[in-house]
Amino acid sequence: MPDLRLWLKVPPRRDVARRLLPAAAVVLFALVPAVPFFTDPWLRVFFLVGLYVVLGLGLNIVVGFAGLLDLGYVAFFAAGAYLMGILTSPQSPVDLRLEFWVILPLALLLGALVGLLLGLPVLPLRGDYLAIVTLGFGEIIRILLVNLRDITGGSQGLAAIEKPPVPGWQRIDEPWQWYYVILVTAVAVAFLSARLRDARIGRAWEAIREDEDVAAAMGIDTVKYKLLAFATGAAVGSVGGVLFASYIGFINPTSFTLQVSINVLAVVIIGGMGNTWGVVFGAFILIGVPELLQFRETSDVLERLGWLRTALDAPFAALDALAPFGVWRVPEPETWGRLVADKRFIIYGALLVAVMVARPGGLFPSRRRKLEFEAPPPSEVAEPSALAAGGSQ
Amino acid sequence: MSVRPLLEVRGLSVRFQGLLALDSVDMTVPPGQIRGLIGPNGAGKTTLFNCLTGFYRPTGGSILLDGVRIDGMPMHHVAALGVARTFQNIRLFANMTVIENVLVGAHRTIPVGGPDQLRPRRRHEQRLAEVAAQLRGLPGGVVSSLVEIAGALVRPPAWIRAEREAVERARRLLEAVGLRGRENELARNLPYGDQRRLELARALASRPRLLLLDEPTAGMNPGETLAMMDLIRRLREEYGLTIILIEHQMRVVMGICEEVTVLDYGRKIAEGPPEAVQRDPAVIEAYLGTKFARQLRGGHGTP
Repeated sequence: MPDLRLWLKVPPRRDVARRLLPAAAVVLFALVPAVPFFTDPWLRVFFLVGLYVVLGLGLNIVVGFAGLLDLGYVAFFAAGAYLMGILTSPQSPVDLRLEFWVILPLALLLGALVGLLLGLPVLPLRGDYLAIVTLGFGEIIRILLVNLRDITGGSQGLAAIEKPPVPGWQRIDEPWQWYYVILVTAVAVAFLSARLRDARIGRAWEAIREDEDVAAAMGIDTVKYKLLAFATGAAVGSVGGVLFASYIGFINPTSFTLQVSINVLAVVIIGGMGNTWGVVFGAFILIGVPELLQFRETSDVLERLGWLRTALDAPFAALDALAPFGVWRVPEPETWGRLVADKRFIIYGALLVAVMVARPGGLFPSRRRKLEFEAPPPSEVAEPSALAAGGSQ
Repeated sequence: MSVRPLLEVRGLSVRFQGLLALDSVDMTVPPGQIRGLIGPNGAGKTTLFNCLTGFYRPTGGSILLDGVRIDGMPMHHVAALGVARTFQNIRLFANMTVIENVLVGAHRTIPVGGPDQLRPRRRHEQRLAEVAAQLRGLPGGVVSSLVEIAGALVRPPAWIRAEREAVERARRLLEAVGLRGRENELARNLPYGDQRRLELARALASRPRLLLLDEPTAGMNPGETLAMMDLIRRLREEYGLTIILIEHQMRVVMGICEEVTVLDYGRKIAEGPPEAVQRDPAVIEAYLGTKFARQLRGGHGTP
């Protein structure tokens, strides 16, 4: 069989599914804005979910691939967002009149640079110590944003941030347009991070995650590859920040709290570290569902659950009739969605604990991909001691 | 002594606070030899290995590999110079597949399409290679990192070729140690003996000149032990290796080692052909001298 077939050959059946499913899913996602049911509020929620998919995939490079627990990921997100804000908001002192498409590659660079800056001092740290220092770094960035009033507008923030222009057309502003922007970004990031994972650099990262000392003994420059993991993950976070700032049009430090770092980390962990679909699912559950619960449509649907409320409320009603004081009553069903959304952090916590106990690998643990080569046929003579085999090689 | 020794250890000392783990140890290993390193538990054998791979920085003395000083070098530089090892308590990358473990071992041998690997075919490629060569001076391997990332993302034909060759070589290595057909299994799911063999394949993948084996037959039954001895001998011939192995089973030491170095309490107490060392009074003293030592010896077969 010619060598080329080895890599470019029609993949085995399992791999066809592995390639066709994502393609089919992307086509489905691309059709979403065409469905009349998904009105603008829906598309805005989906944008947010997509943004968290991008951030989750970025953080996954640091946490999932290289095993470096980073609790300050918001710093990179903020770096990108403020780069966009400072360079395009009329409130910032900088007046360069750069367009979104110029700033995007700049954000990649800046993100990588900030990632290196964070990476350098924390290199000797492992595990918990690393988590604490990165957590501090995230907070430092936020406080910087508040205090560098002349540049960042302090707690007032920066407004009227530019939208991306499309040559020969209008600027991207409609929710459906932003939906496509984030869809394309997420697909690109997923594709590129998978390519990194399946290359020498990805194997080096995973080896460092598995056993740093042994990785070094195998000839891997652990310092270099850890820095590269930080820089790559940070670059993705920074791009997410640019998109966010341009989409929202207004940023201030309250958008860049520790909560963002934790949300992104929760998305990665609950979905399943290292798994793209896990991240998509995690973002939908943790970011999308709480928003959807507050929709009017959700209330309308819940309203029809009056019978369930009556059933659940029956014991309380009975108690209420007997007791001399007022007893708690099950609230109206149309408010249930908001109730759950309001309590979402309790639910997050419970969900995280449950996932860690029941499925430490996440809901969708990353399945080991097979290297694409044909498995050799089993040798004709089964050797009782395999050690004695293969002498001719 | 006309041949330059592959490994030369001079006056090597390692002190952990109060404990002198190695006390000015000298050792010279000629190329192509299988050298045994024996001694009672805690004698400093693994400490010596850790110095040879750069994991420990010795507090005194020097280590020369083919005339180049390697003590105090970062581990990955030592590995690049051709030192590979296996571990007493198997340390595979448990959550990676069998072939990925070998590919990590081959890390240094896989070109990533950097300036060194650019094969200029047309004139502009020649020019590109010159520019790349000038950029190599940049600090911290910035260029090589960028080239590696770009290569992994774009996957030009040269990249695919390099990766394919690496995979094929990894498969041949797996076949050589008898793990054919297990490529896509997770390393942690392999039975014990196979894990030892995988460690060996992973170490070989880095194209070592000096291979350090830390108790390669630990926990193996007599049949497996014989097969492993066979394999070690064969690998030495095939890959032109120099091997140092730590071993507790005297049968293995006598069977495959050409010379033996004996450590006790961090000191070298004997060295020479296995038969001579076996009769050496100092060695007998170290192993059997007291009743206590005799009891200890019972534990040697199963560490």
